[in-house]
Amino acid sequence: MSDLFDLPFEEEPEDVEEPAPTLPVPSLPSRRVLTVTELTVRVRDLLEAEFFEVWVEGELSNCRVWNTGHLYFTLKDGSSQIRSVIFRSALRYLKFKPADGLRVVARGRVSVYEPKGEYQLVCEHLEPHGLGALQLAFEQLKKRLQAEGLFDAARKRPLPSFPRKIGIVTSLDGAAIRDIIKVLRRRYANAHLVICPARVQGEDAAPEIARALRQIARVPGVDVVIVGRGGGSIEDLWAFNEEVVARAIARVPVPVISAVGHETDVTIADFVADQRAPTPSAAAELVVSAKDDFLARIARLHGRLHSAAHSRVQSLSRRVHVVTARPAFAGVPGRVAMRGRHAAELSHALARVMRAGLAARERRRQQIERQLTTFDLGRRLAGIRTRLVGAEGRLTGAVRRRQHRAEAQLGSVAGRLDTLSPLAVLGRGYAVAWNADRTRVLRDAATVAPGDTVQVTLASGELECEVRSTVDSTQRTPRTQR
Amino acid sequence: MPDTSIKDFEAAIGELEAIVKKLEEGDLALEQSLVLYERGVQLSRFCHARLEEAERRIEILNERGELRPAPDSLMTDEPGR
Repeated sequence: MSDLFDLPFEEEPEDVEEPAPTLPVPSLPSRRVLTVTELTVRVRDLLEAEFFEVWVEGELSNCRVWNTGHLYFTLKDGSSQIRSVIFRSALRYLKFKPADGLRVVARGRVSVYEPKGEYQLVCEHLEPHGLGALQLAFEQLKKRLQAEGLFDAARKRPLPSFPRKIGIVTSLDGAAIRDIIKVLRRRYANAHLVICPARVQGEDAAPEIARALRQIARVPGVDVVIVGRGGGSIEDLWAFNEEVVARAIARVPVPVISAVGHETDVTIADFVADQRAPTPSAAAELVVSAKDDFLARIARLHGRLHSAAHSRVQSLSRRVHVVTARPAFAGVPGRVAMRGRHAAELSHALARVMRAGLAARERRRQQIERQLTTFDLGRRLAGIRTRLVGAEGRLTGAVRRRQHRAEAQLGSVAGRLDTLSPLAVLGRGYAVAWNADRTRVLRDAATVAPGDTVQVTLASGELECEVRSTVDSTQRTPRTQR
Repeated sequence: MPDTSIKDFEAAIGELEAIVKKLEEGDLALEQSLVLYERGVQLSRFCHARLEEAERRIEILNERGELRPAPDSLMTDEPGR
């Protein structure tokens, strides 16, 4: 005897999904007393034959899942109710979770539980009345995860300002991956992408996406993940409404951008992700614009750093000059003098650099000059002289022409030397300081004393200056005029 | 500078921001300004150097967790299959 309907509301039934084969029905004589069992069996046969497949609309109540996995419930309307069951094997395929109060349409067959003489609806399928099953499933999961706090704003992490390795979970066959690569190639040429392929459609899509998310989270250096696919029907996008995907996204240790379908498609994945992009291309743009913002920020800071430091130095040295220019303040100790010292040190450092540059140039000039005289010019002139001597008395005219040519060459060499003259650098802003009677170029501050007059040659014109103070390059303390 | 190591981008840019702000507002001694400026240049160079470091590369992570270069077909507009 089938124990299929054995006390579904009182104790757990055996895990049997199909009723036992029917007993043979005895032929009915004109007056035949039936046993209870015989009648029950006949009723059952009638019902099962008549209501082999019915659709029933009603409200769920007393929903209860036994630990066998079967769901027992009562289907009712305003005035009647019928005990019902849906077996675990069928329950598994429901996208939504049956719950008390839900209005559903049930498909199934009527059967009889003989030990109790009760009839019951054995459901093959339930679908929510009104809302589609998928939509209901969506609402249910959304509500549940929201209650768990998975969508909380506090959980959202900002995208990395400079993404180094971008993880992507999607199908290699779709348009999404190409769209993402195209955007990144255009706007972030040296982007490093790590793609973990996953099917994004069909029965296995959700577990595959979840697996890919776990895998990509383990790749060292991946600092942002894009998960998504191109557009499609709600069924096509369904994997992104599955709980496994939602939980996998929540567990990725770096920020996740969801990019599922088109602008108008909203999935559970979008709620859990740190950022939702309307499309895969838009997800790539988000990553890039974070990088662009960062670059702009560095560039701005760099500029501000330079101008701040520069204006700081300028204003300080202006103040130093203003103060020290007044004889009354000269030599006053304290802050002003300290600043003066810093300024002096700075200008010394600058002067050192300039001197080093000048000295190097001077060395080069001298070297060139030496080469010119010892090799080029010297040899040429010597050769000419030899030939001159040899040809003397014989080819005076020819020799004279050669001599002219040599002179011309000499002249051009001298011209080249002239451009190398230290005075030529005056045009670039350098100045030459002379002693008072212009007999000696000043190279050492120690050779003049405060009060001395120095002459300064500029690219254009001369200055006559009075030395106010000198600073020894070793001791760096200004000796000012008393 | 007591600590010249630079942790990461965010740390570098945070410090750079602080330095710029200090230089812009603070009535600092010249010497200090120069020290800060030098550090700022160092930080900014660090950021730029790191920016150059990123590698242009596309890899596929297979089911065994191995990284393989992506096929060129991914870089075309049409799906390969």
